[in-house]
Amino acid sequence: MTRPRGTDGSLLSSLPWTLSALIVAMAPHIPFIPIWITVIFVSCVVWRYVIERRRGVLPSPWLRGALALGCFLGVLATYSSISGVGPGSALLAVMAALKLLETRKRRDQFVLLFLSIFLVMSSLLREQFLWSLPYLVVSMLIIMSAWLRMSAGESQTARQSFMTGGRLMLYAAPLAIVMWVFFPRLSTPFWAVPIDTSRATSGLSDTMSPGDISELSMSDEVAFRVSFDGDVPAARDRYWRGLVLTRFNGRTWSGREPSISRSSREQIQALGERVDYEITLEPTRQQWVFALDMPYAWSLPRTFMGPQQQLARTTPIDQRIAYEVTSYTDFRVETDLSSLYRNWYSELPAGSNPRTVELAREMRAAAGSDQAFVNAVLQKLHEEEYYYTLEPPPLGRNPVDRFLFDTRRGFCEHYASAFSVMMRSVNIPTRIVLGYHGGELNPMGGHLIVRQSDAHAWTEIWLEGIGWHRVDPTAAVAPERIEMSASDAAFDGIGEAWGFAAPSRLLHQMTLTWDALNAKWNDWILGYGPETQNSFLKWLGMEDPTWRKMMLTLVGLVVGLIMLISVLLMIRYRPPAKDEAAILYQRFVKKVGLEPETGETAQVFALRVRDSGQVQPEKVDTITDAYLDARYGSGGEAAFARLKEAVSAMR
Amino acid sequence: MQRSTTLESLPTGRSAQREVVERARQSLGTIILGKDEQISLAIACLLARGHLLIEDLPGLGKTMLAQSLARVLGLSFRRIQFTSDLLPADIVGVSVFRQESGEFEFQPGPVFSQLILADEVNRATPKAQSALLEAMEEQQVSVDGNTRKLPTPFFVVATQNPGDQIGTFPLPESQLDRFLMRVEIGYPDAESERELIAGEDRRSMLREIEAVTGPDMLIALQEAVREVPVKDALISYVQALVLHTRESADIDIGLSPRGAQALVAAARAYAYVENHSGVYPDDVQAVFAAVAGHRLKPAGSTRFRSPAELCQHVLDSVAIP
Repeated sequence: MTRPRGTDGSLLSSLPWTLSALIVAMAPHIPFIPIWITVIFVSCVVWRYVIERRRGVLPSPWLRGALALGCFLGVLATYSSISGVGPGSALLAVMAALKLLETRKRRDQFVLLFLSIFLVMSSLLREQFLWSLPYLVVSMLIIMSAWLRMSAGESQTARQSFMTGGRLMLYAAPLAIVMWVFFPRLSTPFWAVPIDTSRATSGLSDTMSPGDISELSMSDEVAFRVSFDGDVPAARDRYWRGLVLTRFNGRTWSGREPSISRSSREQIQALGERVDYEITLEPTRQQWVFALDMPYAWSLPRTFMGPQQQLARTTPIDQRIAYEVTSYTDFRVETDLSSLYRNWYSELPAGSNPRTVELAREMRAAAGSDQAFVNAVLQKLHEEEYYYTLEPPPLGRNPVDRFLFDTRRGFCEHYASAFSVMMRSVNIPTRIVLGYHGGELNPMGGHLIVRQSDAHAWTEIWLEGIGWHRVDPTAAVAPERIEMSASDAAFDGIGEAWGFAAPSRLLHQMTLTWDALNAKWNDWILGYGPETQNSFLKWLGMEDPTWRKMMLTLVGLVVGLIMLISVLLMIRYRPPAKDEAAILYQRFVKKVGLEPETGETAQVFALRVRDSGQVQPEKVDTITDAYLDARYGSGGEAAFARLKEAVSAMR
Repeated sequence: MQRSTTLESLPTGRSAQREVVERARQSLGTIILGKDEQISLAIACLLARGHLLIEDLPGLGKTMLAQSLARVLGLSFRRIQFTSDLLPADIVGVSVFRQESGEFEFQPGPVFSQLILADEVNRATPKAQSALLEAMEEQQVSVDGNTRKLPTPFFVVATQNPGDQIGTFPLPESQLDRFLMRVEIGYPDAESERELIAGEDRRSMLREIEAVTGPDMLIALQEAVREVPVKDALISYVQALVLHTRESADIDIGLSPRGAQALVAAARAYAYVENHSGVYPDDVQAVFAAVAGHRLKPAGSTRFRSPAELCQHVLDSVAIP
C-alpha cells in the first residue's frame, strides 16, 4: 500500500516555522560542508514550501529513494568516509533536507525538529566559540517556538509561542547548569570525537629554512594568552621559548624530536626574581609547550624539558590547554660544556656559505676576543645597510652568503641564521631558539595576547664563564621590532596610511574587548575540565570529589531542582478554573443587578440583560462569550484574561 | 457506494469543516422552512453518529427532511416504507439461488445505504422493526450465517406517527433508546406556511439541490466533533440534570448512564454545529428535549401534556452550577 502523497495546505501555518528552525540549525555548518549540500538543502526547503503553497503532490518514493542514495554517495565521495564530524554533519544536513520531501504530517514535523536539535548539537563538535552560547540560545528558542507553533494552532500568537518557549528554556537553565558543573569530567573522554583533520596545524615547524616564518607573521590568530600573577615583564624580556634548533645543513636548521633529559633542568641557575604566570595555549597539534625564557617549574602533566631546555608534552596538543609556569628572566645555563658538545654546537657543513665563513674568521682575528667579536658582528648588522622586511627576496644555494652580501633583506630567521653561521665559523657554540617574542597587553583582561605574528627566532651562544647567552641579532637591525610587538607596528601603520587614527584605535579597542571576553570564556567555560572541576568542587566544599559523589550530587540536585521548579509552577499557576471564571461572572451579574433564573443559561441571561438596556450590548456579548469560552470552551487563559478585563472595565 | 470526494483533496482545516456544516444548514433551510432548530438537531444527530427518530403527524415534512439531508450531505439514500406485511428480508436482503452458477448469491436489501429513511416505522410488525434496529445497533447484518458490514457513515432516519392511530406497533422504550434523538417537527409558522403554499414545489426543489459534501467529509466531521472539549463545569451540569430526572416526582424512570452519555455526545455535536469552543450549557439545553424526551417515562399523574414540556420543566428546575 502506498502512502498518500497529496498535501492540503494544512501545514501552511506551521511549516514556515519548521523550515526556519532547520535553516537556523543548518547555518553554522555552511562554512564547513561542501557547497552542493547547502544548495540541496536550500532547494529542498524552497521546494517543500512551494508544494505546500500550491497544495501539490510530494515526490514519489522512488525519486526520494534515488535522491537519498545519491546524496549518500555524494557525501561518501566528497569525504571518502562517513564517520567523523565533517561527513557526519554533512550527512545529517542533507538527510534532514530530504526528510522535508516526505513531510506530510505533524509526526514528520516532529522528526524534523529533532533533526534540527541534532544539527545544532553537531555544530558544537566542530568548534566552540564565544558566540556559540548566544547562537545556542537563539536557535533553541526558534526550534521550541516552531514546536509550539505546530501544536498551538490558530489560538496562539507567534509572540505567545516565543514567550512560552523562552519560559521553558528558563526552567531548563538551572538543570543545565547543574549538570554542566557536576557531571563528572573525565580526562579521557568516553567517546572519541574524531578531530576535523581538514584544518592545517598552526604554529612553528620543527625546522627552519628562510621563508618559513614569513607565513606566520601575517597571521593574526592567537597563539596563546598569558596572565601574570605579578607584574608583566618588560617587553625586551618577553621571549617565549619554544623549540631549539641545533643542526645546520647549509640551508636548513633542524632540531631533535622532543626527548627527555633529566639533567637539563639542573643546569639552570636562577638569578633574579621569579615570574609566575598561566598560559592558555591554543591547539597546535604539536608537542612543544611554550614558556617565558627560562622556565623552571610547570604544572602541565606529561611534560618534560628537553636537553636544550625546551619544553614538550609527550602527546600533541590538540585541545586548548592551560598551565602554570614559573620562570626566571635572569638566569645562567650550563656554564660547563664539554669540548665534545662545544664542537657539536659549532658544526658547519664543509664548503657551504664560504664567504660568510671567511668574513667571520677575519672579523674574529680583528676583534681579539669572542665577546668583542660578537659585538662587532652585531655592530655590523646594525650599522651597515640591512633591512628588516617581512617579504624578503628568494635566496638560492648558500643562502647565508646571498643574504649577508647581496640581498641584505630579511627578518628574524635570516638574521638568526646568518649570525649563527658566523659564530659557528669561529667555533663559538651556537643554537637557534624558535618561539614567540613580545605579545600585546590586553588592558581589559589584564592578560598578554601572543599571536602567530609574534613568532620569532633568536640565537643562543655559549661563552666561557657565562654559559648559554641569548643574543637576538634582529634587535640589532630592527630594535623597534623588539621594543614593540609586530601587530602594534602593523596597526599604527594602517591608521596613519589611511589618515585617521581614531577609528582604527576604536576598532582595536573593540578587538581587545572581544579578546578579553574570549579569554574569560576559554578559562571558565571551555576550560572546565577534570582539574578545574576538581578544584571548583573543592572550593564549593565537597571533600575529595569522586566520580560517585559527583553523580550522587548531580542526581540529587536534578531531582531537587525539578521538584522546586514544579512547586514554583504549581504555586504560580492559577488555572482559569470553574471558580475563577464563575466568580468573575458572578461579579458581572451583581453589577448588572438582574437575577438569573434557575436553569437560565448565560446566553439567555445575556439577552435579558441587553433588553434591560442597562449595559452596552457589546459589553454583554464580550463578557458572555469570554465567560463561556473560559469556563466551558477551549479559550483557556486568553479567554479568562478577556473576561477579567471586560468585567473590571465595568463601573 | 459513491465517493464524491477523495481523501486527497479533503479540506482538513477547522474553518473549512465549519464552512461545510454552515452550508449544509443553509441548504436545508431553503427547503424546510422555519425549522432551523430541527435542522440543526438533525445535523448534530448525524455528526454524533446517532440515529434520528422523527415523530409527528403526516404531512409535516418528515420525509422531506430525511431526503434533503441525504441529498445535501451527498449520501446514498434508500427509503423503506414500513407496512404491516414487511419482512426482515425486505430490509436486509436475501440470498437467491442462481441457476447458471449453481450458487446462492446475496441480493443486498435497502439497508445497505448510507442514509435510510424508515418511513412510518411503527406500522410494521415488531419482527421487521427489530431487523432494522439490530442493523442500527451493530452496524452490520447477518444473513444466512454471513455477517455483512453496512456502509459508513450509516444513518437511519425513522419516522413515526403518534401512536394513538389504529393498526400500529409503537416502538417499546428499550428500542426507542437506539435513537439518539427524537424530534418533533410541528406545524410551520404562518409566514413559512404561506411561502410553502405559494412557492415552488418542494420535490422539484429537492431534485435541484446540490450536495455540499460527501461521506468522507462527514466521517472527518464526526471525528472533529469528538475533539470538542467537555469541561468539568459542564459535566457537573449534566450530572445535576440526570440526577433531577431520577429524583423528580413527575418522572417514573429517569435518565440512565447511557442516556447521560447520549446527552453529552449530542451536546458535543450541537456545540460543533453552533461553532462553540466547547460544550456550553446552552448546547445541553438545546438537545435535552430531543435526547431525553423519549428516554424518560413520565409519572402517571403528570401534569405535563408532552415530553417536551416535561423536559423544559426539568431544565427550568436545575440550576447551572
